[in-house]
Amino acid sequence: MMVAVLATMSLALICGYIGRRWLAVTLFAASLFLSVGLFLYEIYSPEYGFRMPWIQTGTGQRLA
Amino acid sequence: MAIAGDMAVTKERFFALVNYVFLLLVMFVIAAILTAAMSLQYLNGELPCPLCLLERVAMLGVCFGIMLNFRRGFSYQNTGFSLLFAIFLLVVSVRQTLLDIYPRPGHAYIGSAVFGIHMPVWSVIIALSLLISFAIKLAVLGGDEYLRSAEVTEFPAVKKTADILSVCVIAICVINLVSVVLQCGLGECHTFGYKLLQ
Repeated sequence: MMVAVLATMSLALICGYIGRRWLAVTLFAASLFLSVGLFLYEIYSPEYGFRMPWIQTGTGQRLA
Repeated sequence: MAIAGDMAVTKERFFALVNYVFLLLVMFVIAAILTAAMSLQYLNGELPCPLCLLERVAMLGVCFGIMLNFRRGFSYQNTGFSLLFAIFLLVVSVRQTLLDIYPRPGHAYIGSAVFGIHMPVWSVIIALSLLISFAIKLAVLGGDEYLRSAEVTEFPAVKKTADILSVCVIAICVINLVSVVLQCGLGECHTFGYKLLQ
């Protein structure tokens, strides 16, 4: 997935440089969507979901 | 009357030049940051984590919008492209900072600290600096037509520097792509070592 993100970004930069604007913008959008998808995949935990219980600081709250 | 007209044109040209120099500086700073990160990776053997790699992609995305301004003329659409990835950089870096902010087994900031600050926290600072600098630029220069009417070719030194920097940014992106292929293959990324070199 990370390879796809960087490959689309590389192609977007190259297309932008050689003047193929709409192809570049399309690849840029693809890279953004892939990046967001990968980010959500990376931060998801089967145990906690998207929550971060280790930074809850309320009195008496337990980590789990 | 003619003198006043000439002065107005000179002032507009000056603001257009300030706009292009600002964009050039932003691209230069991002290229320098990415080069420093890659130096730490290849010289110190500090492999980037998946979120660190996404932060690099976000910085390259900011450069994409800036590069289009130099290739196809200034446009606020291109500024929007840069801002999208600046916001993405902020979201990723804040999440990564919060992930390791509380010491737990298996969770700690990886890589060496630069001036006592680790890369995720630096990324928060970088993202905020980008957003603030774009906000100040918009507040000072505004969205007037003259920024769009002045072509970058009117400033040959800026154009030449932008061309060189654009090629550098593309090279940085391609080197990162090759590095990621070696580190992750086609699967998930880990910081244990270069998967394809083991």
